[in-house]
Amino acid sequence: MNQSHGFTRHGEELFVAQFSDSEKEVLINLSQQIIELLAERVDHHNEDPLAAMVGITVHDSPPEDEVLLRLLPNAYADGVDASEFRRYTESVLRTKKQAHAMSIRTMLMSSEDGSIELNHELANAWLGGINDIRLALGVRLNVEKNSHEELELLAPDDPMRGVYGVYSWLGWLQGNLLEALMDGIES
Amino acid sequence: MVKIKSKIEEEINAIFATDRPWVTIVWDDPVNLMDYVTYVFMELFGYSRERATELMMKVHTEGKAVVSEGTREEMEHDVARLHEFGLWATLQRGDQPL
Repeated sequence: MNQSHGFTRHGEELFVAQFSDSEKEVLINLSQQIIELLAERVDHHNEDPLAAMVGITVHDSPPEDEVLLRLLPNAYADGVDASEFRRYTESVLRTKKQAHAMSIRTMLMSSEDGSIELNHELANAWLGGINDIRLALGVRLNVEKNSHEELELLAPDDPMRGVYGVYSWLGWLQGNLLEALMDGIES
Repeated sequence: MVKIKSKIEEEINAIFATDRPWVTIVWDDPVNLMDYVTYVFMELFGYSRERATELMMKVHTEGKAVVSEGTREEMEHDVARLHEFGLWATLQRGDQPL
């Protein structure tokens, strides 16, 4: 099988990887899910078009969905300060995270043979995007409570076993992109 | 008269309060890879690999670490950037207990 060997550094500023069809599909799929998950909460009643244009939303409460709350966390322990901050920043944060996921999705979709070349900036977008997928899967896998040893022992027919497999693979992929990036940095 | 004076004092206190340093705190998270956290500190703050690794280890072993200090506005900027990269960060006044 044509399994990915992960990212390697080519020259100064280029990070190259080759993905199999199934790996491509998994990454495109998960990126799409992140993009959809991060779509604005639609609330036409109170939307002020001018405020929306400059990225101010009427939403100041933390998201109810656990995954969204991990992707868009509170910036303050204090509820009032957290709401105020969220009102002015959440929309921008959603857009930035969507852009990270979008760069993974569009690059893979336009790569017929599964080869990917990232410059430093794109590598950062991929790192952030892969991390968001891992955070989302991590919430679903409840990694906070379940140890890796427990997750390794999931029954073969447990659907979470597949999710854990993808989660682990993404950790490996992110790890070797980091290794390639840090390769050129003096300690 | 007394009222006006206390009002002025309040204003003056408020002015100095906004200059008091604020801090950005990063909290431990079971998902984020250690190398990733180190890399994000290097990229966002321009910290050396050594300093970034130290901070990452502090987050990992103590559950949290102050990663930057400055005005409230600067810390809000730092927290927003850390959230963009999926780190679990909050800001607060520097003189408050973590």
